[in-house]
Parts: sequence; structure tokens; C-alpha cells
Amino acid sequence: MEISQIRKSPLFLKIIFIVSVAIIFFIGAITFKHVTVLKKTSTWISVSYEVSLELERLLSYVKDAETGQRGYLLSRDKSFLTPYYDSNDRIKKSFKRVTELTINSRTQQRNLTKVQYFISRRLNFLSKNLYLIESGSASEKLVASNLLSGKQAMDSIRVEIQGMITTQKNLLKYRQYDYNSTVNYTPLLIYLTLLITLILITVAFIMMNRDLVLLKNTIHTLSVAIEVNNLSEIVGNFGSWQLNLETEQYTFSDNQYRLLGCEPQSFEATTEAYKKFIHPDDFHIVEEKNQNLRSDSVLPPFVYRIIRKDGELRYLKVMGRTVTVSSDNKTFVGTTRDITSEIDDQILAEERNRELESNNKELSAFNYIASHDLQEPLRKIETFISRLVSKDYNNISSAGQQYVTSIQKSTNRMRLLIEDLLQFSRTNKTEKNIEKADLNSLLENAKQDLAQNIEEKKAIIESDNLPTLNIIPFQIQQLFINLLGNSLKYSKKDIAPIIKITYSKVVSKEEEALPKTHHYYHKIAIDDNGIGFEQEYATNIFVLFNRLHNKNEYQGTGIGLAICKKIVENHKGFIIAKGKLGVGAQFIFYLPVE
Amino acid sequence: MTADYINICLADDDEDDRLFFTDAFDELKINTKVKTFNDGVELMNYLNSEDSILPNVLFLDLNMPKKNGVECLLEIKLNEKFSDIAIAIYSTSSSEEHIEETFVNGANIYIKKPNDFENLKKILSEVVSMNWQYHTSGLNKENFLMRM
Repeated sequence: MEISQIRKSPLFLKIIFIVSVAIIFFIGAITFKHVTVLKKTSTWISVSYEVSLELERLLSYVKDAETGQRGYLLSRDKSFLTPYYDSNDRIKKSFKRVTELTINSRTQQRNLTKVQYFISRRLNFLSKNLYLIESGSASEKLVASNLLSGKQAMDSIRVEIQGMITTQKNLLKYRQYDYNSTVNYTPLLIYLTLLITLILITVAFIMMNRDLVLLKNTIHTLSVAIEVNNLSEIVGNFGSWQLNLETEQYTFSDNQYRLLGCEPQSFEATTEAYKKFIHPDDFHIVEEKNQNLRSDSVLPPFVYRIIRKDGELRYLKVMGRTVTVSSDNKTFVGTTRDITSEIDDQILAEERNRELESNNKELSAFNYIASHDLQEPLRKIETFISRLVSKDYNNISSAGQQYVTSIQKSTNRMRLLIEDLLQFSRTNKTEKNIEKADLNSLLENAKQDLAQNIEEKKAIIESDNLPTLNIIPFQIQQLFINLLGNSLKYSKKDIAPIIKITYSKVVSKEEEALPKTHHYYHKIAIDDNGIGFEQEYATNIFVLFNRLHNKNEYQGTGIGLAICKKIVENHKGFIIAKGKLGVGAQFIFYLPVE
Repeated sequence: MTADYINICLADDDEDDRLFFTDAFDELKINTKVKTFNDGVELMNYLNSEDSILPNVLFLDLNMPKKNGVECLLEIKLNEKFSDIAIAIYSTSSSEEHIEETFVNGANIYIKKPNDFENLKKILSEVVSMNWQYHTSGLNKENFLMRM
């Protein structure tokens, strides 16, 4: 969020800069125009004054000529005529000057032509009168009419020149008005534009300032992140590296150097420098993987070996990908992790696995010995005794017959022990074929297995409808056989055994024997009316070879219930026993609901 | 001549077991001709020879030197010539692995050597008088192991 803000502001600042420059150019142009107008106007003013002055002068020269002639006419003194003669030249000069000054104004030129006409008329009357008087042929009447006509011409000159001066004044006024209107708006305009520029620059400053704060915060966050990264690299035993795809420059993190057994930044980060550490046999792996680095923009994880500066062999796992921070800056980032200890652990685990496997093999070999080799001699002893009994029993002394019976008992017991031990070790087997099975039919199978025993004791077995569960069928069947067999064996001699099998679904926390959780269990209880046992032995009876009775009273190996416990545990369940001496026993097993 | 007798073969490396076996048939008084072999090689040599009389029922011990029972079983099942021989596995072991392996490889019945001579006689008489065609058609893993 913050970084994207920083990215946007250069554009904004550029716009402000361009606008400000444009405004300054605008102000400059206006000022230039203003100064030019000022200069033109001042020239105009001076020209206008000169025109008025020259026109006044022209009039006064004409007046001079008139006055000089009038003096001559009155006094007949020739010295009065000097200004008259001089004025001719002066009038011409003055006229020429006015013509030059008013060359740009058509109205004034037109007026000037009129003035010229009236001046020449006036001068004409003057020279006529002078001639008449000098020749002496002048009549009073003629002179007087000439004087009158001259006066009329003179009046016209005055009117015209006055008109010209007024016109010039009006022109000047108009110019001044024009100039004023231009000059009046200019300061306001400049002031306004300056104000806008000032606002823009202030906004730019505020923005730059905010960006600076943002930048400072970002730099702070970044440097903290770098520190965190450095620390985690040390703790996690990994290093990182970057390759700028534009400049082909490598950067290694501090820990990348440490992985090589070097001081951080102790050599320049280049491919050549790094290659020196790679194990020669793994060189081709690294080369091959790095080839596709640019085109694929990912480096899939792979393991190679290095030889550290101190000569130690280490396993490194590397992976990486291209990151694009901005469109023109592509960087390939990679991490390298030292997985030597993991590999060592793996080797150790493999060794242990091999040991376990060989142990297992030994165990199954032992199983085979127990099932086959141990049973064989025993079976032969039994068969030979059975032959001895059937063929030669009557030929043996009564003591000998007693011995034979004892041998038979002992071999029977040995067979029982071997078979139970085998059964017990079979429940230990690692492979467990869990399948869906109906507990009712497994119970039925168990009853069939014990059919002879049940019939002999006239036992009654009642059972609830049992569920169908995912179990190891032959083991659960064995569980039923062992528990029912147990009840049959420890029945009261004079009462027919009644065995009740009940089923219910329970919540773990409501059963005292189960952990206080919310899991559901199938609870199967087997009650009998046998001899029972004292409650204090309730846990002991599940221990291997543990017996409550002398083997002469009740046959048994002390393995049966241990097998039961093992089977229930194989199914992640629980088994408990409750007993009351002389009343009966109850065995309850719980199997978890999936 | 062959029709009057049931020809029986036993391959077992144990001398006592061979003795029990022949004694049992002697006492059973069924018209049988019993031939015994000390190991699998001896058995196969006999079966493969031209002039041998093929047995009706062959009892195979599993654990034998040179060639064990399973190897014999495989060899016999591969040969069309022996397709009429009923094969009974006759072993001390009753481990699941052995039962499974021999069942899968086509044995007809699995007998666990009994520990009582009278039992032995009972089992052998039952096996010999068995209707093999009927037994084989309904053969499954449940009735493969002979129960007494």
C-alpha cells in the first residue's frame, strides 16, 4: 500500500514541475509584451508633443510674416520685411518636419494638405499686397480687399492647425487609454499566476515530505526485515542469493558465505568464485540445473555437495525463482539450505530400519522354529506315547502306566504352551488386514470352535445383536474364543454356565475406564456366572503368564487374556475385567467408533 | 490291476513320520499301495520316469531338503500329465502363510500332522476315501484346512 503510493508520486511531481515551468514562461511573455507596449506608448507621447509644438511653431512663422509685412505697410521701413522673407524658409522647414512626424496618420496628412493650401493662399495675398505697394499702383480699395482675404485665409489656418492639435491630442488619449487597460490587468494576472504557482509548489513540497516520511518508514521496515532475515538464515542454517538478470550481478547473503565456511562478504559474489566450492562430482548437476534458470524462471529444488573452506563435505539444497519488482528490473532469487544433518539423520534412520528389518526377520524365524521345529519332536513323542498306550499299555507295570499318563499330561501342557505362544506372537504381526466384518458371525464362529466344550458344560450363551465393524476379523474371532473359553473354564462345577453378551454405544467420558474425551466407543460386555475373582486382580490377569489358579485346578497357560489385551489394543480399544469371587466375572472391551 | 488299489505316495524326509504313515495304512486295511520318498527330488524323479504308476493321492511334506513341498507342488501343477493327482499337504506347521501359499498354488487339502496315532488313522482313511471331484468343486479357504 505505502510502496504503491511512493511509486505514484513521481508522476504527480513531474506534472507540478511542468505546470510551474509553463506558468513562469507565461509570466515572462506577459511581462515582455507589457514592456514593449510601454516603450511604444512613450515614443508615441513624445511624437505627439513634438507634432503639437511644430504646428504651433508653423503658425507663429506665418504670424511673423504677417506682422513683418504689416509693419512695413505702416512705416514703409524695409527692415520690417526681414522676418517676412525669413519666414518663407522657416515655414517650409517646419512643414516638412510635421509631415515627417505625422507620416503614420492619414487624417493628419489630409489636414496637413489643407493647412498647406491655406498657408500658400495667405502667403500669396501677402506677396500680392507687397507688390501692389512697391509698384505704387495700389489703390486703397484693392489693398483693403487683399487684406481681408488674407485675414480670412489666416483664420482658416488657425482653425486647421487647432484641429490638427486636437486630433493629435485625441490620438494620444486613445493610445493612453489602450495602454492603461493593458497595464491595469497585468499585475492582477501576474499576481494570480504567481499565487497558483506558489500553491502548486507548496502541494508538491507537502507531498514530497509525506513521501519522505513514508520512505523513511519503509526503509526502517525493510532494514528490520533484513535483520530478521539474517537472523533466520543463521537459525535455519540457510543462505540466499540474488542474480540481477539485467546486469548479471550476483549478491550473496552473509549466511551464504558462512555455509561455505567463509567470512561474510569475504570474496566477490561471482559464478567462478562459487564454483570453487562445488564438489567436482556434482558440478554437472549444478551446471545442468542453472541452464534453464532464465527461460523457466524457476529453479526446481535439487541437492548438491560442496567442500567447505575447511575441507568439510556438506550437502546443500537449493531452489529459486524470478521475481519482478518493476517491469524493467528482473531478479532471480534463490535460497540454499544446509541439509547435511538431515541427510545424516536419514542415513541413521535407514540403518535403524535395516536393523529393525533384520530383527523382524529373526523374530519370524523364531516363529517358524516355534511353529514347526519345536512342535515336531513334541508331536512325535505324543504319537509314540499314543501308540504305546494303544498297543502295549497292558504290558507295562502299574507304576509305568502312571509315568506314561504323567508324560502325556506334560506333553499336552507343552503343546498348549507352544500353541498359545504362537497365537500371542501372531497378534504382534505388523501387517493388519482390516476389513468390514459382522461381529455376530465372528461370535458364531467362536461358538462353533468351542462347540464341544459348550455341549459338555451345557452352557447357555445369550447375545445382543452386534454391529458390523472395520476390524481384523480373525483377531476379533480369537478374542471371542478366548473370552468365552475363559468363562467356560472358570464356571462353577455344579451350575451350568450362563454367558451374556451385551452391546451398547457409549461416550468415552461416561465410562470410568476410558479417557475423558468426547469419542464414541462400541462397548461389548461378556458376563458369566462362574467362580469370579477378587477385584484386586482385575488388572493382573491381563499380564502374560499371570495366573490366579494352580495349574492342577484349572488348565491354562496364562497367555489367553494377554492375547485378548493385545488384540483390543491392536484395534485402538480398551479391555477391562470386573470380578466378584463366587458370583461371576465381567469382561468389557471397547472398540472406537470411526 | 491298478483299479483294485488306491495308489498313494508320500514325500517326507522324516523317517518316523514315514513309519507312522505306512503303519497307519497297514492297520487301516484299505486296498492301498503306499510308496514313500525321502525328499522332493526323489519324488519328482519317480513321477517323471516313463514306467511309473501315478498316485491317486500324493501327500507332500513342506519342509524337505533338496526340493521342498511347495517346489514339488508348483512343478506338478505345471505338468498336464499330473492333472489327475489329488495333492494333500501334510505338514507339522499350520501357519497362515503356508496354508495360503499352498492353497493359491493349487493343493487340494491341507493336513496338519496329528499328534495322536488314532487321529492319524482317522484322517488318512477320510482323505483316501474322499470324493475329490466333489471336494475340489466346492473348495475354498475355509474347508481347505482339514479339521477333525
